[in-house]
Amino acid sequence: MSNELVIKDLHANIGDKQILKGVNLTVTPGSIHAIMGPNGSGKSTLSYALMGHPNYTITAGEVWYKGQNILELEANERSKLGLFLAFQYPVSIPGVTVANFLRSAMNAHRSVEGQDPKQTAIPMAQFRKVIREQMAALGIDEVFARRYLNDGFSGGEKKRIEILQMAMLKPSMAIMDETDSGLDIDALRVVSEGVNTLASQNSDMGVMVITHYQRLLNYIKPHFVSVMMDGRIVRSGGPELALELEEKGYDWIREAVLSASEE
Amino acid sequence: MMTTLSSQQLSELTAAQIVETARAAGEPTWMVERREAAWQAYRASEAPFWRRTDLTKLQTDTLTAPDVAQSTNLVWDASLAAKGVIFTTLSQALREHPELVQNYFGKAISDEHRYRMLHSALWQDGAFLYVPKNVMVETPLRAVYSLAEGSRATFPHTIVVLERGASVSFIEEYSSANQQSQALCAPASEIFIGDGASLRYVALQAWGDSVYHIGAQRVMFGRDASCEWVSLNLGAALQHVETEANLSGDGSKVNWVAAILANGNQVLLNAPWLRHGGTNTEGHMDFKTVVKDTGYTVFDGMIKIDHDSRGTITRLEEHALHLSPKARSDSIPGLKIDTNDVAQAGHASTSGEVDDEQLFYMLSRGIPRAEAVHMIVTGFFEPVIDHIPDQALRERVADMIEAKL
Repeated sequence: MSNELVIKDLHANIGDKQILKGVNLTVTPGSIHAIMGPNGSGKSTLSYALMGHPNYTITAGEVWYKGQNILELEANERSKLGLFLAFQYPVSIPGVTVANFLRSAMNAHRSVEGQDPKQTAIPMAQFRKVIREQMAALGIDEVFARRYLNDGFSGGEKKRIEILQMAMLKPSMAIMDETDSGLDIDALRVVSEGVNTLASQNSDMGVMVITHYQRLLNYIKPHFVSVMMDGRIVRSGGPELALELEEKGYDWIREAVLSASEE
Repeated sequence: MMTTLSSQQLSELTAAQIVETARAAGEPTWMVERREAAWQAYRASEAPFWRRTDLTKLQTDTLTAPDVAQSTNLVWDASLAAKGVIFTTLSQALREHPELVQNYFGKAISDEHRYRMLHSALWQDGAFLYVPKNVMVETPLRAVYSLAEGSRATFPHTIVVLERGASVSFIEEYSSANQQSQALCAPASEIFIGDGASLRYVALQAWGDSVYHIGAQRVMFGRDASCEWVSLNLGAALQHVETEANLSGDGSKVNWVAAILANGNQVLLNAPWLRHGGTNTEGHMDFKTVVKDTGYTVFDGMIKIDHDSRGTITRLEEHALHLSPKARSDSIPGLKIDTNDVAQAGHASTSGEVDDEQLFYMLSRGIPRAEAVHMIVTGFFEPVIDHIPDQALRERVADMIEAKL
């Protein structure tokens, strides 16, 4: 079983509109891989398609992780396999508290087919201890545990709660979708530190950082950078590619890609 | 001489029997006469025409009259009597405090249609709660109405009176196990909140699945009176409930929340009125409905602002969640404003299936679909359940909802 995430020729539609037009990408365990690209290039679609959002239809391609083509799995099974998507726009669920939500998610991860879920559930005292520690580490006030999930939270609060969930679920492959959007510098620092801490605790964790701007990559340092345009990966390189993009913008790549395709 | 109407089929019952029974129970003349008049009105009445309530399956004539009050259970801290609080069955109150009962009986709810007439003629079960001036009661008082095994009809009458500045929580509960034979419950609850008094009122309808619940509840507000009203509609084969918050006192206020869950073949209708009569009154309604299987609910609500009611703040929210394609919820909200001076009026209404984005978000965290739906539904009701002023009842209601899902 390989802990590499291998995306092969992935095509995806929203309705009749083709968004992903053959994405090829491998994220190796322990590596941080940034996916950059202008708006509308298909970055967020890639993250949703990897997690199994029902609005995205996969028309071709495969995604292999831990020995399975995960496109055949429901989103909750992908999560249990170790995938985690930090949402660009976390969804609010009125009436469900952060604590209850997290406990249900953790228990789902701990559940084993054929076993009584009560047997595998995390003991309440242990859960309280873990959530308290993780909230403290992320600078989240304890009252948030009893608040309804993301209901009335600010953008920064929502992103911290995403990282809190990630810290509790300990994924082996994390996809950060525009985690920097809507964050001020302080929140950005806290959120990035959260990701870095997790990555350092689990040296096998792969991270896919999806972002429009280079700014986030000052805090979460990528090993690899890929550029996405019009539903495809058009350039790949090391961290220096992100700096180049910051300096020159996306147009030079677009031109380079266009001229290459004309040749 | 017969002193009970028990087991008499309604079709064979006579006015003379009703009068005789009431006299034998020592009821005051005004009540005996009231029963007799109501019975005669009932016999002369036509079945009401309700567009969305189908009573063709209800065999009223074959129902049997209830036993002498036997299915009212009152739960309270009796030491409150020392503060002047009265909490007894209505029959007992009629014997011990006849003038007090006469002041309130039938004053909020009139015999508008045949089931109310039947109620007024035959009521046996009931509760009377009286809280004197400025008395504050912490722990909730409960009146639990049930159906005795094999019983075919019950007509509980509830009267709650809060004098000036009083404060209390009152829980009114209707519950029974499922039984084979059809039964009718036609209750009436008359609630009077005095000036500056405040009430937390929970009405839980959790009948078994063969009960027809055709009832009325009306809350009358004094000046600066306030009420937190929680309606919970979970049981019965069919429910047709007419309710009203009558904000006639200046500065009076109601926050009215409801959780309605219809599954199987249940039909649950609510006709809540929010009536602004006084000046500077405030009313908030938040009704949450979940329908499942072939369950059907109706929200036939109305906000009415009288001509002399100035400075009104009113808001109606109703949201319905559909868990299966054959489930249905109808919403017919109305707004009648007879004044030019409204401070705020708002209305929001939604209905639809479980939100895909919420579902996907939960799935993406590993939570299986069925559990995610369950959590979303429970969460949908949570703000309503949260208003129940009693931990044990909160848990019981949560369990009932869980069992129905």
